[in-house]
Amino acid sequence: MLQWLSDWLSGRGQASFDRFKGATLQDTTLMSIDLELTSLNANESEITSFGWVCGRNSSIALETSAYSIVKTNASLGQSPVIHGLIQDNIAKGEKIEDVLTEFIAQLPSKVLVIHNANLDLAVLDAVFRRLNLPAQEVYYIDTLQLALYELKKKHEVIPPNSASLGACLLRAGLPEVPQHNALEDAMAALLLCYAQLASLGLTQQSCLADLSHTKALGRKTLGVVKP
Amino acid sequence: MTAIAQQVADFVAASAPFDTLDVESLTDLLTSAELLYVTKENLDTLIGQSRRIYLIQSGQFSVSAGQENPRYVSEGDYFGFQRILDGSDYPMAVTVESPGLVYSFHEAPFKALLRYDSIATFFNGLRHDALQNQAITESKSMWLYKPLYDLTEKTPIGTDVNTPIQQAAQLMTDNRVSSLLITEAGQLVGIVTDRDLRSRVVAAGVDLTNPVSSVMTSSPANVASNLTLFDAMALMTEKNIHHLPILDKDSQEPVGMVTASDIVRHQRGSVLFIIGELSKASSLYELTRLAWQLPHYFSAHAKHAGDYDIAGKVLSQATDIMTRKLIGFFQQDHGKAGMMFSWLVYGSQAREDQTMGSDQDNALLLAESPTKAQADYFAAMADYVCKGLAKCGIKLCSGNIMASNPELRLSLEEAVEQARQWVNAPTKDAIMHFNIFLDARCAAGDVGLFKTLQHQRMPLLKQSLFLAALSRHANEVSVPLSMFQKFTYEKGGKLKDTIDLKVRAVALINNIVRIYALAGGISVPGTLARLSLLPENSELSTKDAANLRDIWIFLNRLRWRHQLQHNVADNSVSVSSLSSIERHQLKASFQAIERAQKAIIMNFSGGMA
Repeated sequence: MLQWLSDWLSGRGQASFDRFKGATLQDTTLMSIDLELTSLNANESEITSFGWVCGRNSSIALETSAYSIVKTNASLGQSPVIHGLIQDNIAKGEKIEDVLTEFIAQLPSKVLVIHNANLDLAVLDAVFRRLNLPAQEVYYIDTLQLALYELKKKHEVIPPNSASLGACLLRAGLPEVPQHNALEDAMAALLLCYAQLASLGLTQQSCLADLSHTKALGRKTLGVVKP
Repeated sequence: MTAIAQQVADFVAASAPFDTLDVESLTDLLTSAELLYVTKENLDTLIGQSRRIYLIQSGQFSVSAGQENPRYVSEGDYFGFQRILDGSDYPMAVTVESPGLVYSFHEAPFKALLRYDSIATFFNGLRHDALQNQAITESKSMWLYKPLYDLTEKTPIGTDVNTPIQQAAQLMTDNRVSSLLITEAGQLVGIVTDRDLRSRVVAAGVDLTNPVSSVMTSSPANVASNLTLFDAMALMTEKNIHHLPILDKDSQEPVGMVTASDIVRHQRGSVLFIIGELSKASSLYELTRLAWQLPHYFSAHAKHAGDYDIAGKVLSQATDIMTRKLIGFFQQDHGKAGMMFSWLVYGSQAREDQTMGSDQDNALLLAESPTKAQADYFAAMADYVCKGLAKCGIKLCSGNIMASNPELRLSLEEAVEQARQWVNAPTKDAIMHFNIFLDARCAAGDVGLFKTLQHQRMPLLKQSLFLAALSRHANEVSVPLSMFQKFTYEKGGKLKDTIDLKVRAVALINNIVRIYALAGGISVPGTLARLSLLPENSELSTKDAANLRDIWIFLNRLRWRHQLQHNVADNSVSVSSLSSIERHQLKASFQAIERAQKAIIMNFSGGMA
């Protein structure tokens, strides 16, 4: 992994980004992630739970489903109402370092799928910095951006809430998520991603670069790159 | 860390037959599974290369395995399991009609689950297109539907009218029976019971060499061998008797005896309690008071599937008794009728599949054209009985199919002529009108008169052009399934997912079975009775008949449960209120009804719908 990491650090990031964009979908393993947070402000928010699930070729391997409740002392603010976590559960959770170690171990050769990548990646970046973790370059597909791209084709002004995960699932004819939870939302986002790629006409032989015009592809460095 | 998403567990754990699995088995099945988003484009890379069992969560597909015709499948349906059960990789062609989510389970964990009966039975049944009828064969109430001739194995114990009393008593002792059939030239003329010997012989000090005819009960109540044990029990309860001779339906010779101990043995006394109570009513007021307890009685006593199976019969018997009581009350005030008559009942009461919402359908059959005075008498009687039934909670018929309608008080001659008109001009409108009269039963009055009518019109109703018209009519209403075999729901209902099980399913079976019954010359009106009496050479195979019977019982259970649980009188059952296995059964039932509809077109209408 360190070799892989050093590729980035030595300034070959752009080359890798291009390689990732050039890979066909059938050679790309997607890892959909979702975080539940104590706040929508990335700098002060803490992660209360972390869920992910992996798949490729329009298929989800259920055994890759993972869900962790994170131990935190931060005030939960309003979010427990949404996410159903209560202080007790959180106190019993795992340490964020352990969860992130597992996350980092999954990263090589995977492309992340996130609904609203900006927020989740900003929080991850802040946590990486706070914990002084080695920097990680991640590539991602943002299903929110894919949804906005589709919506902009149909609407001059995008209707309010029409790009929320729930609204997107409904439009794609996918089952609604029973209760908000990091794993449920991660799985839903991956299914949504499959539906969106299909509706854009992409096949397993298509490249991720075929999504460039949608602004849904991105890369981001989590944590501080040390000289 | 490793987890199973709730949305996965929720869907699979609610899908029959996996809903019967414990958490551990379910986890084993799920952790090795994949969830696929299947589209036209990716179909070939996702499905069909290896042996898997697929469960559809959303989307619509058509599947054909081996040589079979394409099967349309959608939410909740399985495919691919046949290859695992058969251990063979014959080709399976799948097409995507609309994309959706499909679970793909591996062969090994699925095979491991086949050790459970519930799982193995389900998939074997699915493969053979059979309704999952285990529950029905296990029903404790099915014996009530058996014709009496199935239950009378022993030769009846009887003796001639001239036998001396002492010898008759000896015969009873030798055979360990509590009653004796007394015959004259092979025909039943009376019965003698233990009680008769005690009260009419010992207590009265009668000479034991006198003939048994001097102490027997003459012309006893009796029951025909093609009726059911339930009918016999209802009659005994109504008449408060403990011994009921069974007569062969054709020769009228005695073939057996039903006794009170048969009822006790089957412990169904409580079911018949209401019938006994109604029979005791001595005034219209008492009768209505008891009748209004019926809904309460059913919701209190009918808790299990087996109770629902006989609920329709109990309600019909109760309605019959109310009718006989009302006729009795009328005759107490106005004297006997001046001629023979039959009080006929139609539709659900005739078939004995009444539910709480059924309204009254009845008519009078008169032996001959009435005089003015007689006509007035019957008009008054019909009016009194129909209004009395309404007071008892049996709604007046909105279509005016009631004896109080002068058009439904025909003489025998007129009734035969009417049947001839039906047969001569079976137009669509005419069938709509007279279909209900083809399920008829005599609930009161003279049974013989009605039998004469049946006998005279039977050859008319067997005519092939008439049956062809009925067959086409029976195909006018389709089962509520879309082309993709999804349920289609009633529009404008309070709930979004209701199906009228009476109109869209039960009535269709009744229509189908009626046609086979008419073709086979069967005169009983009940759908189950008709199915059990179909002749060997009937166009309907024994297997198909058994399948229709199971489906009919299943559908009736669903609507009775619906009515009692929700305290309503309609048949609009919400599909989401059914368990997953019931939804599968319901779909299989609809598919079987659809096949049976097509079959009658083939059998009776030369394939022309």
